[in-house]
Formats: sequence, C-alpha cells, structure tokens
Amino acid sequence: MSKVLCSVATRGRYFTTLPLVLNAIINQTKPVDKLVIFDDNDEPQDMRKELIYSYFFQMLDAKKIEWEWRFAPRKGQHHIHQQANTAGYEWVWRVDDDAIPEPNVLETLYSYALTNVGAVGGSVLTPPYMPDTSEVSGKIDNIDSEPNIQWGAIEKVKQVEHLHCTFLYRAGVYDYNLGLSRVAHREETLFTYGLHRKNYQILVVPNAVTWHMKNPQGGIRSETKKEMYEHDEQIFRNFLQYRDKTIVVLNCGLGDHIVFSHVLPSIPSAEVFSCYPQVIPGRPIIEAINLFGDLDHWNIYKKMDQWKWKGDLESAYRNMYL
Amino acid sequence: MIIIAPYAQKLRTEKQNPKNYPYWETLVEMIDEPIVQVGVEGEKQLVPDFRKNLPISELRKLLHECKTWIGVDSFFQHLAWDEKVPGIVIWGPSDPLIWGHPENINLLKDRSCLVANQFIWWEATEHRNDRFVKPKEILEHLRK
Repeated sequence: MSKVLCSVATRGRYFTTLPLVLNAIINQTKPVDKLVIFDDNDEPQDMRKELIYSYFFQMLDAKKIEWEWRFAPRKGQHHIHQQANTAGYEWVWRVDDDAIPEPNVLETLYSYALTNVGAVGGSVLTPPYMPDTSEVSGKIDNIDSEPNIQWGAIEKVKQVEHLHCTFLYRAGVYDYNLGLSRVAHREETLFTYGLHRKNYQILVVPNAVTWHMKNPQGGIRSETKKEMYEHDEQIFRNFLQYRDKTIVVLNCGLGDHIVFSHVLPSIPSAEVFSCYPQVIPGRPIIEAINLFGDLDHWNIYKKMDQWKWKGDLESAYRNMYL
Repeated sequence: MIIIAPYAQKLRTEKQNPKNYPYWETLVEMIDEPIVQVGVEGEKQLVPDFRKNLPISELRKLLHECKTWIGVDSFFQHLAWDEKVPGIVIWGPSDPLIWGHPENINLLKDRSCLVANQFIWWEATEHRNDRFVKPKEILEHLRK
C-alpha cells in the first residue's frame, strides 16, 4: 500500500482552528503514515509546552503515527507544499490550518487514488455560502464564470481540471510554482492543473467533506499586499494563455541544447525559450521568467536528480516533455 | 587530422573544471598526426593550430574533415554525435551512461571515479587527476 504524508501549513492559528484540524487528522478512519506540521509563524513557539498539543503528540505516538513539527522558511505556503511534494511519499494529503476534515475524508479520497489519478478532492464547505455546484464543470476555461466545484456538496464522482484548498495528490510528479509571491495566490489551481496537463485524472468525489472555517485571523495567506495577488494572478493568466502549447524552457548548457534538438520534433505545439537560439531557436529565458515566475518545472538537472535518473539525457528530456 | 576539444566549460568559481583531462600535454606529444585544437579564448594552447571561438557551423564542417576527435565531457561530444562523427571521450567524474553517447569510445577509468550525485553543479566537485585514464590507454584506442 502506498504511503500517505499529511502536510499542514500553519500561521497565526496556534490556538484557534489548528487544534481542531490536528484532532481531525489524528482521528481519520484511515491513519496517515506521517504528519508534518509546517510552522510558518513569524514568531514560532515550542508547542510541546502547550497542554493541548502535548495531548495531540501523545495520541499520535500511541497510534504509531510518525509526526514532525517543522519550522518553515516563511516564504509562503507553496514552498511548504513543495517540501512535502518532494519528501519521498507517493501521496500527500494537504490540509489547511482552518479546514477541518470529517473522519472519513482521507479513507474516501484514498480509495480513488488509482494509477492514472493525480489528485482527489472532496467538498470544502464554508457555511453559509454553499452554492449548488452540481452543474459546475471544473474546467479551467470556466474558472471565471463558475464557482469552484468543491464549494458545494459533491453528489457524484466527476473529472475536473483543477482543485483548491485541500486534497490528496500524487507527489513528485509536478512542482509547485515557487515563483509566486508569499501569498501564493492560485498555487493549488496551478498545481492541480499542472497534474491534469501531465495526463493524470483530477477527481472530485462525494462523501469526503471538509469544513473550511476561513478563520479571519492568521492563515498562510495573511499578507494583504495587492501587488502580490496581482503578480500571482498574472502568472496564472500566462499559464492559461499558453495552455494549448507545450512550454519548453532550455535554461541549460549548449550541449544539452544539441541533445534536445533530437527531441523537439516530437513535441506538439512547442513554445520554446532557449539560451542558445543558434542551436534551438526560441525566445530569451528572461521572458520565460517574467511569464511563468519559476523555471524549476523545466530544470532538467533538478528533474533528473528528483527522478534518480540512470538513463541518458535524451531520454530524460523525452520523459519531461512527452 | 585529429581534432582535440580539451576543455569543458569554465566554471564561474574559476576553479578547474573537474571534467578536464589533466594529461593533455603528454597525450599531444604522443600523437603522431596533425592536430587541430578547438576551444575558446582563454583556454591553454596545446598545439600550434588552435582555432578559437569558431561558430558552431564551422565546427560542424571541421568535424567532417577530421580522421577522428578526442574530447572530454563538454558540448563538443554532443555536437560530434549530432553530426554522426564518432570519436573518443575521456571521462572523469561524470557518467558516460547519462551524459555520453554509445556511438563514441567512452574512456572511463572506473565507475568508482564517478561522483555520486551527477546532477549537482560541477563547482562542488574537486578536480582529481586520479579519476582519469593515462595517455597511453587513449593512444591504444586512437590506433585501432
């Protein structure tokens, strides 16, 4: 059975919703294999000294659930999620610090975690706002014209193109965009849509309700700077603008470009950004940075390292782009 | 005529690139054929005919004029592969199974000489002479 890491990113909610969330995670009908709490507080505290938290830690130990309290780099939750994404687990269940899952959520989500599935989400309800989402498509093209499908009761399994807030996902397949600002606006939409673009199914499923209390205090997105949201929104819109293309970014050496020239003809609708246009014609790398924020998605060396690659470079490029 | 492409890209730290072969001078003396060195300005000249900063198109043409070529793990081995002109690549810490091409003669002293992580920046790897085969072994392959 695949192992599931549960990651909770928290900020400013030590004594409000975080305890409710931890209690809900501990009491899942399918236990997680490991729980990591990423503490992104400006002034982190040692929670072992807090009675309620000591109870949680005792319960985790008694249930033989590995846990870790990790102090996060305070660069935004996308950096935290990427740490979880690359922690070596096959599945990661990401839970917000004000989103309280019912006891069966992980068991239900995990029951859909099949070979071709990239992410599974359930309803994420914020009463009193609970729109009827039965007719919502969940397609990225409709993101401006329909409510998020997870905001309402989900009555049947549906394949969508993006998820939000909390979901179970296949780890190590697609990267979080670390070029987003600290508010990480649209991070989960970009991430799950990226999994969809990798040809994995993104599912919403019934009988997996999380109560998203939207605690007005604290939160990992507690930054209010408008420019940060605008910056992230622009990156998101740029990804959408190029959704019919395969974005190719060759931020690498001359020899790598030569090897890649054998792969390029197989890539449909390539939009190329290149360091050596005399070998691979393309737009300058700086344009890719400005458009997409972070180029790690296309860093072939990082990917080969992540994949523990033993094959040749050409095959690695094929693995990345085809 | 034999082409030599002796050096991998200069590192930003000015440290010697760990992929550079340490015995070029000896090897060059042992080769009894005209040699053309290709590379860029600033690299050590090993033979009288050193053609610096040639455009890629010129390098491609030159490859078709040579009997064979000898290089290290640099862009030149990829260019020659692209031109379907096999040659000899002298390997040190980088893995020919990952970065090389089986069409070439890939001379690796021993797989124990490879660095464990092939995907880090080469600045992090120290240059070591003992990672490389001796010139005599290269000459044997050249004469085959």
